[in-house]
Amino acid sequence: MISAFFIYNQKGEVLISRLYRQDLKRSIADIFRIQVISNTDVRSPIITLGSTSFFHVRHENLYIVALTKWNANAALIFEFCYRVINVGRSYFGKFDEEAVKANFVLIYELLDEVLDFGYPQNSEADTLKMYITTESVKSERAVMEDSAKITIQATGATSWRRSDVKYRKNEAFIDVIESVNLLLSAQGNVLRADVAGQIMMRAYLSGTPECKFGLNDKVLLEKDPSNRRKTSNTVEIDDCQFHQCVKLGKFDSDRTISFIPPDGEFELMRYRTSDNINLPFKVHPVVIEIGKSKIEYRILVKANFSSKLYANNVVLNIPTPLNTAGVTCTASSGKAKYVPAENSIVWKIPRFQGQSEFTLTGEANLTAMTHKKAWSRPPISMDFQVLMFTSSGLLVRFLKVFEKNNYQSVKWVRYMTKAGNYQIRF
Amino acid sequence: MAMRGLTVFIADIRNCRVRELEEKRINKEMANIRTKFKDGSLSGYDKKKYVCKLLYMYILGWDIDFGHMEAVNLISSTKYSEKQIGYLGITLLMHENSDLVRLVVNSIRKDLDDNNEIHNCLALHAIANIGGREMAESLASDVHRLLVSPNSKSFVKKKAALTMLRLFRKHPDVIPAPDWAERITNIIDDYDLGVCLSVTSLITALAQQYPEAFMLAIPKAIMRLHKVIVERDFSADYVYYKIPIPWLQVKLLRLLQYFPPTEDPNMSEMLHNVLQTIINNSQETPRNVQHNNAQNAILFEAINLAIHLDCESDIVRQATNILARFILSKETNVRYLGLETMAHLAAVTDELDEIKKHEETIILSLRDKDISVRRRGLDLLYSMCDVSNAKTIVSELIRYLHIADYALREEMVLKIAIMTEKYATEHSWYVDVILQLISSAGDHVGEEVWYRVVQIVTNHESLQEYSAKMVLHYMRSPHCHENMLKVGGYILGEYGHLIANLPGASPIEQFNTLHARFGLCSLATRALLLSTYIKFINLFPEIKGAILAVFNQYRHVLDAELQQRACEYMAIATMPTDDLLQTVCEEMPQFPERESALLSRLNERTGQTEDKRTWNIGGKDSNEKTPANLLAATKERNENGSVDDLVNSVSNTSISAAGGENGTVAPANGSTAPPTPAAPAAKVGLTWKDQLAPGHENWYNRLRDGTDGILYEDSILQIGIKSEYHGHLGRLAIYFGNKTHTQLNSFAVSVESPEGLIVANSHTLATSIGPSTQIQQLYSLECQQIVTEVPLIRISYQAGSTQSIYLKLPVLMSRFIEPIQLSSADFFGRWKQIGGAPREVQEIIKVQGKIELERARSILVNHRLGICENVDPKPGNFVATGVFNTSLSGKVGCLLRLEPNHETNMYRLTIRTTSDVVSKHLKEILHTALLYRPAPSTR
Repeated sequence: MISAFFIYNQKGEVLISRLYRQDLKRSIADIFRIQVISNTDVRSPIITLGSTSFFHVRHENLYIVALTKWNANAALIFEFCYRVINVGRSYFGKFDEEAVKANFVLIYELLDEVLDFGYPQNSEADTLKMYITTESVKSERAVMEDSAKITIQATGATSWRRSDVKYRKNEAFIDVIESVNLLLSAQGNVLRADVAGQIMMRAYLSGTPECKFGLNDKVLLEKDPSNRRKTSNTVEIDDCQFHQCVKLGKFDSDRTISFIPPDGEFELMRYRTSDNINLPFKVHPVVIEIGKSKIEYRILVKANFSSKLYANNVVLNIPTPLNTAGVTCTASSGKAKYVPAENSIVWKIPRFQGQSEFTLTGEANLTAMTHKKAWSRPPISMDFQVLMFTSSGLLVRFLKVFEKNNYQSVKWVRYMTKAGNYQIRF
Repeated sequence: MAMRGLTVFIADIRNCRVRELEEKRINKEMANIRTKFKDGSLSGYDKKKYVCKLLYMYILGWDIDFGHMEAVNLISSTKYSEKQIGYLGITLLMHENSDLVRLVVNSIRKDLDDNNEIHNCLALHAIANIGGREMAESLASDVHRLLVSPNSKSFVKKKAALTMLRLFRKHPDVIPAPDWAERITNIIDDYDLGVCLSVTSLITALAQQYPEAFMLAIPKAIMRLHKVIVERDFSADYVYYKIPIPWLQVKLLRLLQYFPPTEDPNMSEMLHNVLQTIINNSQETPRNVQHNNAQNAILFEAINLAIHLDCESDIVRQATNILARFILSKETNVRYLGLETMAHLAAVTDELDEIKKHEETIILSLRDKDISVRRRGLDLLYSMCDVSNAKTIVSELIRYLHIADYALREEMVLKIAIMTEKYATEHSWYVDVILQLISSAGDHVGEEVWYRVVQIVTNHESLQEYSAKMVLHYMRSPHCHENMLKVGGYILGEYGHLIANLPGASPIEQFNTLHARFGLCSLATRALLLSTYIKFINLFPEIKGAILAVFNQYRHVLDAELQQRACEYMAIATMPTDDLLQTVCEEMPQFPERESALLSRLNERTGQTEDKRTWNIGGKDSNEKTPANLLAATKERNENGSVDDLVNSVSNTSISAAGGENGTVAPANGSTAPPTPAAPAAKVGLTWKDQLAPGHENWYNRLRDGTDGILYEDSILQIGIKSEYHGHLGRLAIYFGNKTHTQLNSFAVSVESPEGLIVANSHTLATSIGPSTQIQQLYSLECQQIVTEVPLIRISYQAGSTQSIYLKLPVLMSRFIEPIQLSSADFFGRWKQIGGAPREVQEIIKVQGKIELERARSILVNHRLGICENVDPKPGNFVATGVFNTSLSGKVGCLLRLEPNHETNMYRLTIRTTSDVVSKHLKEILHTALLYRPAPSTR
């Protein structure tokens, strides 16, 4: 399994170095720096050099690297790397170079806990927080009591939840967050469109509640004969995965999502769909090269969602040729300006009402080049957030909470669609 | 240079922690610069700053595809700093084939023409860096002008020389080197040693391509060496660890190796002096490493030159002793160079005795710890090998082969094979050695080696039995290499029957010996062995059964070649009659003699290097094609050509430089050395005669009839002449007076003498004439044969530019006549003896104006004819006699009658000599003299 685990900063300096097995030397860290970090050609997250495989994940300004000499399960190792990031985030708020440097003792402690001889162990932040703390040493008695709890917790059926959680007000928040990926050809054909969604849950519920959760998922609904008439409104989910608290046995047998939620925030589910996607924005770019010294832009953006909704932080990145000397542009809404550092015109629209449309007209002046290279015309990319809108059309149908005490709980659902890789060629 | 914007930009870039940030900063800056450039109307300072920024980005590795025009514009700026950045920009951003180079050619030319030498240097740098073909074509002449111009500063000249060298190396065809040869070689005389050094590098490169055009460099180089080494005339700036400018010394010594040895006795003596001094200097123990290195560098080059000049000279003998000491040195480099130089010596000399004394040391060097030294040791052994020591060397090498480095073995095997073949006195020894070689060197033996063995054995009947025996013996040894099996297979197949009666070599034993190895060898060898077997069937029918079994087995083998052979041989062997078998297995005919493939293989190994080698490793015979020797060969050809010409010229009295097409006139018989180094004509196809100075005829004609006077005069130079003659010898003094108030530099005089006349200068002339001073050059003359031409002299000097004056020297044939007095009886006796045409010539000469008897008399006297009074019955008629002396062709008696006719103002001239050529030519001389009316004197 994992033979060693390293964290590097952006320059390739080793911040954390933990060896779990004897089959590697510490100097292997240099090899990764030379072969991967300083080699700009390498883009693959897995590099095998000799018999050693390097798995790396970039997060903020860090490289999180796991090494193995075995034919290990790559997905498992990547999952572990992401878990480390999550644990780090829940401990330090932000998992970046500064945080790692400031908390390296704690990180080594955590690494000792989450991996044993290279095999992943409990990596649930909530559980870890019970016994790996930043606080000062407690009295012996308290430690005794705590340790008893910890043992039960770590070995029990719901290792992710303590049993003694109590809230005055029982609330559960569900956020459905979707990111839309789009690639539109210059002719306006959709080359690729899909939605990657995640359902985040914040549960502030007392005791050990059992929740049931329902979506307008096609498979789920069609199973239930009573709901068959509503099938027009269903969503076909290509693929989904759940938090470890979800009882997969039940899901497999009768497609119900039931679980005992961990306390606090967690990601309940991740899914992907590629059918019937409502694209939130339509872009009509008209880019004309006039001679060799000028390019004319006319970009029209239309919001495709209901006029009751609005999008925030809409940003369009409109590439300009590499030999641009200057750009003049006017936008019917928001601000547009030429950013030479990125070779593009950045058009920002803070608030974009549904069904409205805006245009940008502009002109880029070009300088002569010694080597005539045709402009590669990279695509326009777009960034946005639309609240209370899902591109996939997914809706939460219900969330039921059953608890021994039978308390009343309040549930909130929020939807948001944001741009993933939203690109339009021209 | 302070450019705040640039400093800030560089600081920003350095502060970027990651590539992405750097890229963003770069993009931003590029956009900014694009905008600025687009605007135009930038000040020179701004342009400079932005070009600097672009260059900084460029050297960081980013693509820069604009700003070239701005760099080009900067070049034409008048400010140095802007110009400098402009040039830096174009040298970095452009390469020699980019289209934009065209734009800068004119700016560069302008800077080359500039009076500011710093601008010249910038332009030269640019040419040297990006000079492509186009640039070379359009700017080479400007570079040349800067190089030869007397106004150029030293450092400009240096750079110009090196720029020219770069252009020449890139595009040798663009530089008209032969045309420029003379002016370039003149620069060797420059007072600045640095200039001399740079130009020597240039000449070394040029001379390898155009050796004849650069012959002029020989005396210059020798004089320069003499000045530096013997006269110790050098500036103190150029002393490196007590050694004056070692780089120049080495280069000059090297340069001289590209030419055949000079034939001018003065020069060779001077050179001898130089070499001797170098060798003497080398005796002193050096102070430190640098001193040692410099001293040795010069010494080795000097030894190489000495070997090149004459490998039997005394200097070489001394050098050999020094080398012997060097090959024992503790320093690896010295040992290496010592061996290398000794190999050079061994490669060209016949006298190997000196080197053979050190054979043991050389053999020991094969065990040196440094492989390059071992290699040189091997080279030397190979070069010094001859019949007498071949056996020792070869046996030593074979012994060494086992422990030799793998990298060395293949070459060693080749060399051993060549030496054995070349110096074998007895054939059996050859076979022994080669077989031993094949059995011990194994894999390192190339195919060529065993091919050659087979060729030689086949061609020498006496060897065949012996080698068959030996091969069989070697194949029985437990470690038998496949190559041995190949040789064995072939030889036994051909000559196995010769030893079939010996014990242990019966047919079946031969077959078994071969077949024991059959399964272990490669397919090609097996195929060869199958052929051997079919030959065995022919030779020894008694073992046919065993062999057929093998064929039968191999009819089913997978390899197509083996299968086919087995099937075909099987078919041939099982035919009812043996006719076909016998025809097929007829004994091999002898191989035609061909060049050993081994030598060509060995020579392949010496690749092309920058400077051509002046010699090849190997015996004397392998050194006949080196550059200098080639040149000598062409010279020889020319000489042969002029011998042919001599035959023609005797009859039609036109000896010209036609023999040597390039204006080089060599003496008809190569035994005596020509007086001065033959100098090339300035332009090919244009002989000296065609370039005589205008107005020269006046002075010349005046001197025809006298011995002393002014030969030439212009505003700069006055040339006077004095001469005296005695028999076939003469002395000629030429005075060169500098009429100006500045020094004349690069002064050089060379003489082109017609065949049969030797003009030798007594000492070497100074290369400069001080203001208002006169120098003198003495020539000794020797008339060897009948000469009908006069010698030509060429004077060149530098006054502003290089001037060349071509003049005729009034050394007429008649100068070598001794007057005699004959009585009337004697005269007419001989007159009749000579008889009429063709040895008699007669001409009626009509003169302008009155006949002056006194003048006629003085003409005859001046042409050294004795006037015999009272011989002719008619008073007033002249009778004159003389003997024309030559050192080689004997004497020619000359009789002459000159009959003036006062009424018609005509002379009748009758000449009878014992040689028709002399008659004709003497008549010409007198004819011209009688007709000549001196022009009114100009002073």
